[in-house]
Amino acid sequence: MTPADERRWELLEKIGAYAAGELEDEEAREVEQLIFERPDYRRLAESYSRMLVMLSTLGNEPVEAPEVTVGYAVRRAYVSAFLRGAEDFIGALGLSYLDALVVYLGLRQEGYKQFS
Amino acid sequence: MSSDKDQALAVSASKGDAEAFSQLVRGHSRLVYRVAIRILGPQDAPDASQEVWVRVWRNIGNFRGDSAFSTWLYRITVNTCLSVRRKESRRKEREYAGEELPFLPEPPGGDADPEAAALGAGQREEIQAALGQVRAEHRAALVLRHMEGLSYAEIASILDVPDGTAKGWVSRGRAAMLVALAGESAE
Repeated sequence: MTPADERRWELLEKIGAYAAGELEDEEAREVEQLIFERPDYRRLAESYSRMLVMLSTLGNEPVEAPEVTVGYAVRRAYVSAFLRGAEDFIGALGLSYLDALVVYLGLRQEGYKQFS
Repeated sequence: MSSDKDQALAVSASKGDAEAFSQLVRGHSRLVYRVAIRILGPQDAPDASQEVWVRVWRNIGNFRGDSAFSTWLYRITVNTCLSVRRKESRRKEREYAGEELPFLPEPPGGDADPEAAALGAGQREEIQAALGQVRAEHRAALVLRHMEGLSYAEIASILDVPDGTAKGWVSRGRAAMLVALAGESAE
């Protein structure tokens, strides 16, 4: 981007910030002066205001997530929770069997820690 | 949904409570879908929303409640949407040569006309098409600021950038959006 392009973007952004009501006192006054002197800048500020109204109008419109998306997320969580539970159960069962086998074979000595 | 309730549900969900997770999904699915549709458009939003909830379920144990659950959810949603966009070829922001200023046509009844505030199907398409021409990070910042109404501090936290960067991205996104929208309106 050339320095001239940079300056144009800067001006474009400044008028945008003014239209959004985001400039501090002195900067806002500077832009007001520009807008007062140049009808094309005034038109630009009006275009920004129009665009911001459009964005906020669209942003306020209710949007419903498709039921299929919600249902998929919920189902997946239930399946994952079930698998997690099953994994814990099978793990605990396996350790109990291992413990039982150790006891059966008489391999456990005093002071040995259980697997589970 | 209140923040305390969200917090309690998130704690239960992190322990594998699918019912608690299901309540979080039902309470916040609109937020996720709304942001996804604005950043990605209607075609990619359903898949991205599903991916968001998969990531939420996988990472809910990392939610420590330092920020509101909705802020954490916004972060995952925006990151998911941005990663979808990164997979695609880099789009170029519409160039602004600066010879002509970008103007939007005045509505037939003027700006004061209440009917001018209601958006027609054509305008919705123009806005969505114009949003698609804004660089993804700038678009996300613009959506969070002017469509979700968030503060710069919230946007900075969601995008994980300093406040000044968030402000710069919104500003650049706003200008790029006007250039794109003026181009769409002229076509």
